[in-house]
Amino acid sequence: MSRWLTEAVPRGRIAAFRTVIYLFVAADLVIFTPWVRTRVSVPGELYQPLLVGRVLPLPTPTPALVAVIFWSLLLLALLAATGRAPRLLGWAVCALYLQWMIIAMSYGKVDHDRFGLLIALAVLPTAGRARHGDTTRTEAGGWALRVTQIAVICTYFLAAFAKLRFGGLDWLTGSVLARAIIRRGTDLADLIAQVPYLLIIAQFGIVAFELFSPVVFLLPPRWRLAMVGFFYSFHVVTIATITISFAPHLAAMTSFLPLERVRPMLWARRLLGRGPAGTASETPGPAHADTAPVRLGDHATGADLAPPGDEAVVRADADLAPLGDQAPVVGRPAGP
Amino acid sequence: METLTTRGRVTRLGATALGLVLLLAGTFWGSDDDFPFGPFRMYSTSNPPNAPAPDTRVEGVTSSGVVVDLGQDATGIRRAEIEGQQDRYAADPALLAEIADAYAERHPDADALVEIRIVIRWHGIRAGRPTGGHTDETVVSWQAPR
Repeated sequence: MSRWLTEAVPRGRIAAFRTVIYLFVAADLVIFTPWVRTRVSVPGELYQPLLVGRVLPLPTPTPALVAVIFWSLLLLALLAATGRAPRLLGWAVCALYLQWMIIAMSYGKVDHDRFGLLIALAVLPTAGRARHGDTTRTEAGGWALRVTQIAVICTYFLAAFAKLRFGGLDWLTGSVLARAIIRRGTDLADLIAQVPYLLIIAQFGIVAFELFSPVVFLLPPRWRLAMVGFFYSFHVVTIATITISFAPHLAAMTSFLPLERVRPMLWARRLLGRGPAGTASETPGPAHADTAPVRLGDHATGADLAPPGDEAVVRADADLAPLGDQAPVVGRPAGP
Repeated sequence: METLTTRGRVTRLGATALGLVLLLAGTFWGSDDDFPFGPFRMYSTSNPPNAPAPDTRVEGVTSSGVVVDLGQDATGIRRAEIEGQQDRYAADPALLAEIADAYAERHPDADALVEIRIVIRWHGIRAGRPTGGHTDETVVSWQAPR
């Protein structure tokens, strides 16, 4: 169990996940939940702090307080996305974002879409330094990804029990989806609602999918990715029908993906013609270990790639020990 | 490979176990108040197949008799927050004055509101499908003192 919980992943994956999560925090502030800022104009009388907000001596939000948190969180999140000072910046972003969420959720409505994100923010500072493209494997990083994955799956799995607790078995045959469609449905949803029994079948489907979601940890890597793809497609449907985005959850769910393959900076540099074109410029990795000598010096030096020495050590390492249960490492970055 | 020390491993195991215990307790005995460890109760309430569905809105009436929508864009208050505190508004309708204040704050040039009300539009549902019909019910209303 302890091995599985701390199963090592490449540092490059941690670096990429860090960038995704901290960029998401910045995007969340300005795009996904911009209404949090409007708390400034909501009278303090309506502020009903949550338990955590009552235990910690947090002040009733004032315009100045909200502005300070907003701007410092935005700046620190963008800095943290670079991967620098992962502990200092990581803990600061974690604390500020939690405070931001306590403000957001203390006016009568609590959202349930960000448990995974909060866990990711709480564990990323413990994952240590990580550079993009570094294939050295890290157990601390593996734990950070694993617990984020567990938090994401708990959001599904335990939601089924919440339905049983609050709605009972009648939930399955009730009209919860019809209600959701009436309150915030799209034209597509209105169309779907016309089909007899479809919404009730969908309700059975949702609970079945939630109860089965932990199976994702038992599947072989390829099937696991397929199942995560199914999770994403479920959210595409909920966005298209009842405009529920669950965006923070979707960001946290990238913890299942071999993110180290996504190298936008590297691709951009290649497109700009810095470095030889074609396969010769691909980053050597475990899959090419025996055929591809180190060519790192040719292109893309700097923060994006690990020093050649490090790379060599790791390749042997990766060959000896497969990644097992975490998403597979792939030899070269996917893309153009 | 970068391995963990025994202490690092034990600390992480402990933190994981603690988090899971809190989350399980929240799921079975907790409430939204226990954020972030409360139950994942989005869309968890059960509605009978033929029960009408409520669609809540807040509206205001200006001194010239015009009805204005007081949704999230107008006041910064989310609909679910109105619903979450509906009992408070019902017990003390004067709280609706706060919504008038939030509106005035964002619309300094608009006519003052003389009445605020929370209206629920009940949409008919049959066998889990919307019927298309609806009725409006004013659940709380407040008149501004003149």
